[in-house]
Amino acid sequence: MDHFPTNWGRPRNDLNDAYNTYPLHQRPYNGPKDTFADGVQRTQQPIVTGTSVLAIKYKDGVMMAADTLASYGSLARFKDIQRLHPVGSHTVLGAGGDMSDFQYIQTSLDTLLIEEEITQNDGHSLGPSEIHEYLKFLMYGRRSKFDPLWNSIIVGGVKDGRSFLGYVDLLGVTYEAKTLATGYGAYIAQPLLRDAVEEREGQENSITEEEARKILETSMRVLFYRDARSLNKYQVATITAAGISISESQHLSTEWSFAEGIRGYGAQTQ
Amino acid sequence: MVRGQSFDENTYDSDNTVFSPQGRLHQVEYALEAVKQGSAAVGLRSKTHAILLTLKRSTGELSSYQQKMFRIDDHIGIAIAGLTSDARVLSNFMRRQALAERMVFNRPIPVNRSVSAIADKAQVNTQEYGRRPYGVGFLVIGQDSTGPHLYEFSPSGSSLEYVAMSIGARSQSAKTYLEKHFEKFESSAYDDPISVSILKQFAPVGSLEQLIEHGLHALRETLQQDKELTIHNTSIGIVGPAGSHEVGVDGLGSFRILEEETVDPYIQALPPKEAPAGTNAPAAAAPPAPAGDEDVQMAE
Amino acid sequence: MSSIATGYDLSASTYSPDGRVFQVEYANKAVENSGTAIAIRVKDGVVFAVEKVVTSKLLVPGANRRIQIIDRHIGMAMAGFLADGRHLAARARDEASNLRELYGPPTIRSVADRLGLYAQAYTLYSSVRPFGCSAIIGGYDKDGPALYCVEPSGVSYGYNGAAAGKGRTLAKNELEKLKFSELSTREAVYEAARIIHLVHDDAKEKDFELEMSWIGQESNFRFVPVPDDLFKDADQKARDALENFD
Repeated sequence: MDHFPTNWGRPRNDLNDAYNTYPLHQRPYNGPKDTFADGVQRTQQPIVTGTSVLAIKYKDGVMMAADTLASYGSLARFKDIQRLHPVGSHTVLGAGGDMSDFQYIQTSLDTLLIEEEITQNDGHSLGPSEIHEYLKFLMYGRRSKFDPLWNSIIVGGVKDGRSFLGYVDLLGVTYEAKTLATGYGAYIAQPLLRDAVEEREGQENSITEEEARKILETSMRVLFYRDARSLNKYQVATITAAGISISESQHLSTEWSFAEGIRGYGAQTQ
Repeated sequence: MVRGQSFDENTYDSDNTVFSPQGRLHQVEYALEAVKQGSAAVGLRSKTHAILLTLKRSTGELSSYQQKMFRIDDHIGIAIAGLTSDARVLSNFMRRQALAERMVFNRPIPVNRSVSAIADKAQVNTQEYGRRPYGVGFLVIGQDSTGPHLYEFSPSGSSLEYVAMSIGARSQSAKTYLEKHFEKFESSAYDDPISVSILKQFAPVGSLEQLIEHGLHALRETLQQDKELTIHNTSIGIVGPAGSHEVGVDGLGSFRILEEETVDPYIQALPPKEAPAGTNAPAAAAPPAPAGDEDVQMAE
Repeated sequence: MSSIATGYDLSASTYSPDGRVFQVEYANKAVENSGTAIAIRVKDGVVFAVEKVVTSKLLVPGANRRIQIIDRHIGMAMAGFLADGRHLAARARDEASNLRELYGPPTIRSVADRLGLYAQAYTLYSSVRPFGCSAIIGGYDKDGPALYCVEPSGVSYGYNGAAAGKGRTLAKNELEKLKFSELSTREAVYEAARIIHLVHDDAKEKDFELEMSWIGQESNFRFVPVPDDLFKDADQKARDALENFD
């Protein structure tokens, strides 16, 4: 059915209606369209980006850390961006990569939560493993359309006495581990986290909250020293059976003075 | 339909898009009658288990008994009464929903959502021209993170949660039995230590065996005078931990259907009908004494 | 209704000679046969209460809720065919979700309006029947508490106190006595419980279960069931009040 009244009772296009007296601009074109006529180009790179996210399992649940910087290329563009996002009451998401894509993910998970949990109100809530599974399909689905959401995401949480820590990225790659790090942290911080957590094989349940905080702080400091896209302000999220808490942004104490004692740096030039 | 000719109330019943002056939907009410044409199904729920019992019909000696119970997923099963072909469509839909839930969230679908999904589907058939309401009722049992559940689905598009329920032919008799006895199995033995210790000689209160016994009692109420429950015409569906007569049940207590020999111990254990004088109840009367013994053994 | 069975009442797309659409009026009958649902809009919140008629004692107490949640801050109570009500609730959620995607958390009015348009479409064609259900929809948005009632005809009017179902006339009488601008949400819970108990006719009707939900400061501006302790207290006080009254 042709729904445009201006087309009714007359030929459909100029080819067989060359002498039509009807003003052309008022008649909509509704012939076939070639979506690829001009070619399409999908996202080739992230624009405003966040860097590493770190997370470990510990005695009471999961602890996650991320700095508050969103860079525009190498420019430290936004210095107070929260990259840890709670979803429901059992789960926290931490994301590196494109921040606008991350915001889109936040919105779509919020819709999911309203549909699947809040309006149902039947005692069934989404836990970290369900959120992780859902994100897996979202991310893999998008990459299969060659239109990925340019993020690497850590999903952590506790539900029904079980803690969960999982990873998913723009390719749809997923895995679970006791320690996770994204971005630059995957190279620099991951060994440190493993040293601290996996060395105590089978005993990660013995890591106290204080120790966990210490491990993450040390790793965040190393990252700030070595990662040019990082910031000395970061937040920590803890997810336990009691719920979620995301800290205010805290300052990393750093030590730079030793450079003065090295030849070639500071005042001593010879 | 001949409009404006009949002054009879019946004018309002030939189409499901028409309200009667009393605000009733006759087509829907007739669909509920279709459910009553089917043989009975009974469902019960305790704190630990949910079970279904169905009475199967056979059209003749050469035919097999009509399947009345279907598995939807590991944790959900249904019993049907009414049009089997409609049931197949709806149960297929439930299975797809259950698979989708496993696919997207990697979890078993919450039982209430599974039932609501078909109820919402059925509602549309009561409101649009050119369709008819589904002619089948379900009893749905399942277990999820909130425990075992029993729901009734009906062609009107409603889905309600019950402690015990019965649908199909002569289901009112079963309902009457269940209303009288549901308090005994609704709460579990573990709520009441006294009953556990005292009633050792019977199946423990709230046990699966006791639940099934009540179920068979209720199902028996729906029988015609001269009929008996046999291993051939009775099916039992269960979710929850394995009972003492069961073997090979997985640790989750997934949905399973007992038929033929596996039903035998439960039918054996059923006390014979309190036969009103003159009625013959030969088959079930056979082994009443050992039945009691068996119950002692299975008590733990 | 002298025009009954003259053939002008068999389709939603037919007017009677005196300009009525009988099918819509019959749909209202379906609403009038159901348990009463009321809602009260006060200065800082909205309270919903429903008289849930218990058709069988085998029903699980507290299950099978008749007050639905539409969005974080919007709820809906229904009177009439439950299945139709669930259909409307599902539609309301879709509308709320669409509005949220475009404009952020939707206002109650926008959702009620959309729902009214949807219900109205079912009064136009012979291929469908109107909804046998009234939806009382309310919540708390950026402009404060709001309450609407969508009827089978498709109208959606705003209210301070709304009632639908069997006991609506008596309930409206009681609602009219309330001072909406002075009551707190907590106080309104007690009033709502009292009214539902009052309109329930013990002599004629089966057992019923009270069901209440609310939104306001105390619920953190989320639409949720009234907390257990408050619910029990309001329920008990309402029973006591009735006994003293008798």
